[in-house]
Amino acid sequence: MATSGNKNINAKLVLLGDVGAGKSSLVLRFVKGQFVEFQESTIGAAFFSQTLAVNDATVKFEIWDTAGQERYHSLAPMYYRGAAAAIIVFDITNQTSFDRAKKWVQELQAQGNPNMVMALAGNKADLLDARKVTAEEAQAYAQENGLFFLETSAKTATNVNDIFYEIAKRLPRAQPVENPSGMVLMDRPAERAASASCCS
Amino acid sequence: MYGTQSRRAISFEFQSQIPNLRPSIHTRRANITVKFQDLYGFTVEGNVDDVNVLNEVREKVREQGRVWWALEASKGANWYLQPQISSISEGIALKSSLKFSTLANSITLKKLIRKGIPPVLRPKVWFSLSGAAKKKSTVPESYYNDLTKAVEGKVTPATRQIDHDLPRTFPGHPWLDTPEGHAALRRVLVGYSFRDSDVGYCQGLNYVAALLLLVMKTEEDAFWMLAVLLENVLVNDCYTTNLSGCHVEQRVFKDLLAKKCPRIAAHLEALEFDVSLVCPEWFLCLFSKSLPSETTMRVWDVLFYEGAKSLFHVALAIFKMKEEELLLAHQVGDVINILQKTTHHLFDPDELLTVAFDKIGSMTTNTISKQRKKQEPAVMAELDQRLRRLNSLKVDDK
Repeated sequence: MATSGNKNINAKLVLLGDVGAGKSSLVLRFVKGQFVEFQESTIGAAFFSQTLAVNDATVKFEIWDTAGQERYHSLAPMYYRGAAAAIIVFDITNQTSFDRAKKWVQELQAQGNPNMVMALAGNKADLLDARKVTAEEAQAYAQENGLFFLETSAKTATNVNDIFYEIAKRLPRAQPVENPSGMVLMDRPAERAASASCCS
Repeated sequence: MYGTQSRRAISFEFQSQIPNLRPSIHTRRANITVKFQDLYGFTVEGNVDDVNVLNEVREKVREQGRVWWALEASKGANWYLQPQISSISEGIALKSSLKFSTLANSITLKKLIRKGIPPVLRPKVWFSLSGAAKKKSTVPESYYNDLTKAVEGKVTPATRQIDHDLPRTFPGHPWLDTPEGHAALRRVLVGYSFRDSDVGYCQGLNYVAALLLLVMKTEEDAFWMLAVLLENVLVNDCYTTNLSGCHVEQRVFKDLLAKKCPRIAAHLEALEFDVSLVCPEWFLCLFSKSLPSETTMRVWDVLFYEGAKSLFHVALAIFKMKEEELLLAHQVGDVINILQKTTHHLFDPDELLTVAFDKIGSMTTNTISKQRKKQEPAVMAELDQRLRRLNSLKVDDK
C-alpha cells in the first residue's frame, strides 16, 4: 500500500502544561483556525486529529490536549504513553507556568518514549508588555534539554502552524506503512525490543 | 439577596423565548448544520434531525409531566417524598412492618424517575431524594449565608483557580455567562472549597455546579446538592488530590465493560484503547460536558435516586449503542470520534436510558462496592509509585 517517497505517518501528540497556558487554544487554532478569549476548561483530555503534508510524507496527528490542573497530572501517563511527540506549553507572562513546563520535560525524559520529539511553546507571545519569561531563557533551557523552542500566540496565530510543521518534519521516517490499518506507532519497535529482552 | 429571583426570571424568560423550531422546507436537506437553543438555554449545533428529536423530547417532557400530576392526584401531593420510599432505593433492609403500599410506591417511583422527572418538579424531587434536604436540616438555617460571608475576600489557590474558570464554564450561556451567573457560581464553588478543604476546588466541579444552579430554585439549594453529591452520592476522593476515586471508578468500569460488552472490550483492547482516555470527563463532569443538557439532567434524575452506579449504566450504554460501529474501528482515534459524536448527538434521553437500564442487566450497589474495594489497593500503589518516581527526579536534578 505504501509507496516509497509518499509515506503516511500517524503520530500521537500530547500537549502538556500549566493550567491556563493556552494548550486548548493552540489546538483550536491549529485544527480549526479559530480563537476564543475564554476557552472551556479541559477535563481529563480532549482529542483532535489533523493532517499535515510535509515534504515527503503525510502526517496525521492524533492530538491529546490534557487538563492543566495539578491533580489531573495523575492521569497524564495515559495520554503521553506511546506518544511520538509532545508540545509543552507555558505562558510567557507567567513564571510559574515555565517552572511547571520544566517539570513536564523532566517527567517525559524519564517516563516517555525516548525518541519523542519535544517542542517547547512559549504561548501568549502577543502579550509582550506582561512578559515574565524571556525568549533567551526559554531558548537556553530548550537547547540544554534537546527540545526546540518557539514563541507562539494562539490569539494572533503566530507560529502555531509552524510548531506542528516543525514537529512533523522531525518525526522519524524509519518505518514504511506495513500495518493494513495504516497505523504506525513510532515508539513501538523500541518498546517491544526492551520488553522482549527483559522477558526472555 | 443573591439575585436568585431575577435569575429565575431570566431563565424562564429565555425558555419561553425559544421558538418551537420547525425546520422550513429550505432546511430540509441532509447534513445542514443549524444552531439552536436547547431546553436549558445552551446553544447546540446539530442537523435538522436533531432539531426534530429535540421537539419530540419537549413533547415527551410534557407528557411525563401529566403522568406525574395524575399520580399526585391519586396518591396525594408529594407522595414521592416520603422517607420510607427513598430509603428502599438506598438498599436499607426491608422492615417487616413496611407497608405493601410503600413498597409498591417505591417500585413505581424508580420506574417513573428512569422515565424522567418533569423539569418543574426537579428542584423539589432532587433536593429531597438525594438527601440534600436532610443534610441541610442538620445545620443552622444560616449556614450557607454565614459561610459565604465568612469566606468573602479570602484568597486561596482554590479561589484563584475558580476565578480563572468562571468565564470558561459554559461560555456563551445566556445566564451562566453573565456577571450575575459568574457571581452565583463563584459563591457556591468558593463556599464548598472552604467546607471541604481536601476537595477544595477541582476543575470539573464548575460544570456540575453550573448545571445545579440552572436547575435548583435557589443558589443555596444548589450548594447543598453539590455537597450531598460529593459527600454521599459519589465515591470518596473522586475530586481530591490525585483523583484517586476517579482512578478506581475507571478500573471498575473497565472490568464492567469486559463483562457486559465482551466483544467491544476485546476489540478495544486490541486497538490499545483504554477507557481512561474518555471516562475521566464523563465521570468527573457527570456527563455535563458530553451529553446534551436534558439528557444530562435525565442521567442525574437517576443518579440522585439510585446512586453512583447509574453512571456506569450510562457509560456502558454509550459503548453498547455503538457496538457495530466500534467493532469496525481500526484506530484509537476512530473510537474516540465515534464516542464523541454519539454523546454530543444524544438529544433523545430515552434512547440512552432505555439501553442503560433495560439492556445492560442489573448491577447491585453491593457488587460494585466490592469491585471498588478490590481496585483501591492497586490504584493507591500506582499513584504512590508515580509520586516516588517524580520525587526522585527532583533529587537527581539538584
